[in-house]
Parts: sequence; C-alpha cells; structure tokens
Amino acid sequence: MTRPLSIMNVKAQYDGEDLGASEGLLVAVARLLDPLAEGEALELISENPTVSDDLRIWCRRAGHRFAGATGENGKSILVVERGRVRRTLADRAEWGIRMPMRGETIDMRDWQVGRHAAIEDEAPSGGSLAPRNADIEEGAASIEFSIRKRTDVWANAISELYEQATSSQWVGARDIPWQALAPLDDEVERAVCQIMTFLAENEYAALYVPARFIGQIHPHFTEAALFLSTVMVDEARHIEVFTKRALANGGGLGIASASTQLSLASLLEPRDFSTASFLLSVLGEGTFLDLLAFLEDHAPERATREICRRARQDETRHVKFGISHAKYAIEADANAARRFGSAVEARAEFLKSVSGVGALIEESLIIYSGGGMSPSSLRAGTKRVAELYETMHTNRVKRLTAAGFGIDQADHMSRLHTPNFM
Amino acid sequence: MTRPILMGAVAYDPKVVPIWDGIREYLKEAGPGMDYVLFSNYEAQVDALISGFIDIAWNTNLAYVRTHRRTDGHCRALAMRDTDVDYSSVIVVRKDAGMNTLADLRGRTLALGSRDSGHAAILPLYFLKRQDIDAQRELKLLRFDLDVGKHGDTGASESAVLNAVASGQADAGAVGDPFWAKALEERAVDGEKVRLLWNTPAYHHCNFTALESLEESRFEPWVEALLRMDYNDSKHRPLLDMEGLKRWLPAQTEGYRTLFEAVDEQGLEL
Repeated sequence: MTRPLSIMNVKAQYDGEDLGASEGLLVAVARLLDPLAEGEALELISENPTVSDDLRIWCRRAGHRFAGATGENGKSILVVERGRVRRTLADRAEWGIRMPMRGETIDMRDWQVGRHAAIEDEAPSGGSLAPRNADIEEGAASIEFSIRKRTDVWANAISELYEQATSSQWVGARDIPWQALAPLDDEVERAVCQIMTFLAENEYAALYVPARFIGQIHPHFTEAALFLSTVMVDEARHIEVFTKRALANGGGLGIASASTQLSLASLLEPRDFSTASFLLSVLGEGTFLDLLAFLEDHAPERATREICRRARQDETRHVKFGISHAKYAIEADANAARRFGSAVEARAEFLKSVSGVGALIEESLIIYSGGGMSPSSLRAGTKRVAELYETMHTNRVKRLTAAGFGIDQADHMSRLHTPNFM
Repeated sequence: MTRPILMGAVAYDPKVVPIWDGIREYLKEAGPGMDYVLFSNYEAQVDALISGFIDIAWNTNLAYVRTHRRTDGHCRALAMRDTDVDYSSVIVVRKDAGMNTLADLRGRTLALGSRDSGHAAILPLYFLKRQDIDAQRELKLLRFDLDVGKHGDTGASESAVLNAVASGQADAGAVGDPFWAKALEERAVDGEKVRLLWNTPAYHHCNFTALESLEESRFEPWVEALLRMDYNDSKHRPLLDMEGLKRWLPAQTEGYRTLFEAVDEQGLEL
C-alpha cells in the first residue's frame, strides 16, 4: 500500500521542469534510478501535466513502483521507488580513471590503468568483443578465441610499436614522387617491373599470414590484435605501391614464378602464430630489409627509391615485432626455440627443389643494380648482388641471435632459410 | 508419472516460438516439463481447451471470458504476468486538437484498435461509458480491425491508432498502457504532437486458463516452476523480456469483472 511520501527513502532528485516523458525525461529517471538500492526513491519535480500518468504507466513496465504524487501551483512532486529489477546484469561502470599524459599525447604505453591494467598470462575462456577486463553483462554471448595464451602472441615492445605504426602511416597515392617517373632504358624498366611484381607477391604473404591469425586472438591481448592490423594496413599499402610502380612507367606486371609461389605458400602452413610470425617476420621480412635497402641504394629514379625507403621503414617495425615476440616466446618456454628450429628445417626440406631466387629475379637484380645490360653494368651488378646475399646472411644471423639463438644455431638456420628471400 | 502439461498459445508474432521453446526448456530443467502447440487465433485455442486437446491455454482477457462463458465458469485462471494484473488503457489526443477533458471528446473522431482487442477497443468504450461518454453514439469511431482473432496482441492496430492521431486522421485514440509506455520509452511518440488525456481504471489482461477438471497435482508444480523464473537471471531475462513481464504471479480474477460487463453491454458474440 502506498506509504505517505514524506517517509519515502528519497535518495535522488531531479527537476524535470516541463520536459515530457517521451522528450527525454525517462532518460533521466532511468539513469537516476540505476544506482539506487531496491526501495530507495527518486523524487521528481515536474511542471508537465501529463508526466504523472506517463510515469505511473512507465513504472509498471520498467519494474519500479510509482509511489505517488503531490502537487500545487502546476508543479507536482512525483516519487518513484526503485524495484528489484536490475536494468543491466553487470557491475557498475568504471569511474575516476585518468591515463597520464605523455607530453601532449595519450600513448598506448600508458593505458594499463584501471580494469584495463591487468594482463593475464591466459585470457578468460569465454571471449567478448570488448576492451580488456570491461565488465561484461551476464548472458552476453561468449566467443571462442583459440589464441588465449600471452606467450603465443605478445611482445614487450608492442605498445610502442603500435604507436610508431599509427604515427608513421603514409599515402601511396600522395607520398611517392610519381611525377618524377620518366622513360628508362627498356632493360632497366623490365627489371624494375619484375622486381616490383616479386615484391608484391611477397607482400601478399605478409598480408595474408597475419590475416589468418588476427581473428583468433583473444581481445584480452588487444595490443597484439591492434598491432597486427597496422601490419596488414602496411602490407596493403606496399602491395598497392609495388603494383602501381609496375604499371606506371610503360612496363607492366612481370612473372610470378613457380618457385616464389611455392616458397610463399609454405609461409601459410604453420598453424600456430609464433611459428608463422618467426618464419615470416624474423627470417622473411628480416631478409627483405636488406633487399629493400639494396633496391633503394640502386634505384634508377626517385619514385622507386621512395617506395623502397618507405616500405623498408614499415618492415623494420614488423621485424622488430617478430624478434621481440620470438624472444618473449623463447624466454617463456624453452621448447619454443626448438619448435622454431624444426619449422625452419621442415620448410627447407619442403623447399629443397628451390635452389635459388630464380633466374628472372636474380637477372633483374643484376641489371637493376648495375644500371643496364652493358658489359660493365653487368659486371658491377653481378658483384653487388653477390654482396647482397652475403649481407642478407650476416644480418639474418644477427637477428636470430637477438631473438635468443646461439651463434652457431643462428648461422645454421640462416643458411637453411629459403633462397627466395621471404 | 503423469503426462506433462500441453499448453496452447497463439502465434501472434514469430517470437512466440523462441519464447515458448525457451520456457519449455526451462520447465524441463525445473522438473514439471511441458509441451506446447500454437494456434492462429484465440477462438480455436479456446475450442481446443474445452475439447481437452490442450491442458492449459495462454489466454487474453477476452479469451478467458469466452472460456468462462462457454464452460459456465468451470474453468480457472492459474497464473499471469505482473504486467497483466493492473493493465489499463489510455486515451491519447493530438495536442493541438484543444481537448483537455473527456467531455471534449464529444463529436470528435476516436481511433480504436481491433474489435476483438480488450485493451484497444472493448474496454476503452466500456470505461468511457462509465464517464458518461457513449462513444458509439456521441463520437465518430475509426476502427482498425487488423489481425482479428489475435485480440490485439500484434500491436498492429495500436500502431495504426497512434499514427492516426499523430497524422490528424483522428482526434483521439485508445491503446493499451504497455504500448503507450513502450512508445514513450522508445521516443516513438512525438511529445509535441500527441499526449495522454486519460488513463482508464486498471483491469486484468492475460492468464493461463485451465478447465476445472485439470488436477492440482498436474498444474501446481508447473505454476510453481513458472513463479520461480527470475528477471535478474540472465538465462530467464530474454524470455521474460520477449513475453513482456518481470515476473509471473499467481492469477487473480477480480479484474476481469469489467470485461464480462463490457462484453454484455456491447452485445459481443463469444
């Protein structure tokens, strides 16, 4: 039975002035009732004559009790007592969290605050498409993610790499000096086109490998999912500019050779992210850094040089992630190093029919770096390409030791790496 | 082991299937079990209850009155939604039509929902008469007889009523109060154009109806299990939301008196 309004346990008040129920008043009523306990009341002042009836009717639907109204001079005081129904089956939202500023920016490196701070070694079994540790309403759909262990996807530098990635984005249509393109010697242009086709092929692998894993990463490890999406955007842009360069200056697409395709297809084989990332980013993209530096140094014109320079900057980040993740995985689990080693052996076995980068690419690299097909050009190009292979091996060994392998093992693994570069 | 209850419901919306599938699943886990069949209209469902094909019918108020009349009162209401206990109708008006009291309705056009809707047609006329408004004689009635046989469950005729008032086709209209509350909450009604004029006294709406011959030992565990459903339980919540309640209550019947009188007064055939 209705108690006198004076003894209601009023815990919240709102002056709705002449606002109507459907004009927004129910928003205030619902939000002010939310934090109250069952039996506590909201006192509402209203000058709108239909609010009393509307509110009484709404209360019945919403599971609250309309405790009555008093009024004079066109103003009514309405009291609503909170029912036991919870509108949302979750705890309270967070409040009072404030990320620190880093200079004038808000940086992902500083976002481990509040509920978002705790990163577990293993993500909760039921996954949600929500920020890490956000309170999930009971009854929410549970999504299974197969990558649930931190060691399977994490890298210590991941937030920093993410911030670097987003602040270094560039535009393929605008940031390459396309206007500098001019007719080249036919043999050089043909070499450029074949190399660009080859680079694009490799970048398809670099795009599709993370794409296969990103949907399996539990959002608890959100930094990994976000970083890999920047990798995918980078690779998309590389495919774009390499293809554009092949098409832009009178040549066209070169040949996608069977040996390159076989080598790249084998990158899609590993079923676990760590192994896939090790083969792709540490060995493949690592080797690519030296190739891109070589192409930048010997570029026949400014557009190609800028394409290679920008792609190399992006790839440097991907390689850093690859090394950092491999190191993280190896430190957490000694078996990881053995797994990576076996994957390299298995891939070498699979690719034993591939004896070199292939005549089309090797000849193109010689003509490209020598500047043409004259005897002196070919002599210079041949020497440069031989030096490139040596540089690639030396740097691969360095990267492998950075990831945590001993020098001998690193040397062995580097020699087993595909002659196809990626 | 007695045969589980076979319940009937009317398929007024596709969501009726997940509602009763869900409740069947719940009742299976809770013990008493249940199966259900769907009817396309309440008349067929009441016939099936009386013939003994189903044990319990999920009835509107009008279907309950029909069952009561046809069985000479040898039926009983078992349970109902919290929202069925003090259901009401509202008369809404267009704000610029200059109507401030019920008396201002005289000579105007009143939009009504389906002729077999207790809340959007039969009871509004009945309660207006108690306020000395003989709507059938003194008002122009604009009836939206949509989905007849479903007793106004679909809400289609109430939508039509609200649209008619908002567009000026009618000066006033009658809808059930849950429909009005939902329109307010979802801001589906333009507060500048349409407002509530009057809210009828409360009455009862739906209930689970059984014949008097259904043994207590069969329906009691079933009703008790229903009453244990909890809106704060995430498994129950979607079912209760779809069916429009926060909890089930034991049935009350005094609130059906007005509809019995209205049916007689309006000479409705049952």
